[in-house]
Amino acid sequence: MAASSSSQPQPQAVFSPTAAILAWLWPGLGHISLGERKRGLLIMFGVLFLFLGGLLVGGLDCVDRRHDKLWFLAQSFCGPLAFAADIANQRLVQTVPEDWSRGSEGRRRFVEGDPDLRRRLSRIGLGRVNEMGTLFIALAGLMNVVVILDALYYVPPSAAKRREGDAEP
Amino acid sequence: MTAILAYIPLLDPIPVFHDWWFLLLIPLALGISVIYKAMRVPDLREFWRQVAVMTTLIVLAMIAGAILLTIFVRVLIPLIPVE
Repeated sequence: MAASSSSQPQPQAVFSPTAAILAWLWPGLGHISLGERKRGLLIMFGVLFLFLGGLLVGGLDCVDRRHDKLWFLAQSFCGPLAFAADIANQRLVQTVPEDWSRGSEGRRRFVEGDPDLRRRLSRIGLGRVNEMGTLFIALAGLMNVVVILDALYYVPPSAAKRREGDAEP
Repeated sequence: MTAILAYIPLLDPIPVFHDWWFLLLIPLALGISVIYKAMRVPDLREFWRQVAVMTTLIVLAMIAGAILLTIFVRVLIPLIPVE
């Protein structure tokens, strides 16, 4: 069985670094550039579904380059989208004081009921919701790694389909 | 109710899934299946059927894993004799 399948001519993979870069810049764009418009749009839908789903569940705090470095490493494979979300997070959410010790500026503002500080604090995700949002976006990034590799060494689906058809008894 | 009214999508964490977080497994599995099958399905007419099958398999596998872990933690671990 193994000998017969290895004797079949293997479909030619196309090495396309441009498609891989495009796939990182915007999920699905790599496949669209290779002529697979429908596949590219489906990939785009899938990655954006996970990415926006993560932001909807966990808020902007789910993409945090400073406090969740390893998670951000996985998320960064979503492309510039992840970096934009991180910049927005650092500007809109992560501006709460780091120092909460007695007598600190942060403690004083919190005790005095500073509405701006309270609003920013409410945007920091906690518990399961934060974990799930972070996981959604990290998995979107990791799945986009698979997409980038697929675009980099692209095997046309017609060739892959022919190979599957040949393998059937 | 007040928390939901104050919720700003994409900015605030959603205030409804704290107790039902495990239901988020379903959209998570769906998203992974859509991306994977978009690359692997030779004939895109089969796409949504294969996505449904893969999503169901992932969810069932996770439920089976949860049942096995529950049995391990709640039944088998307490059987270990304590000196």
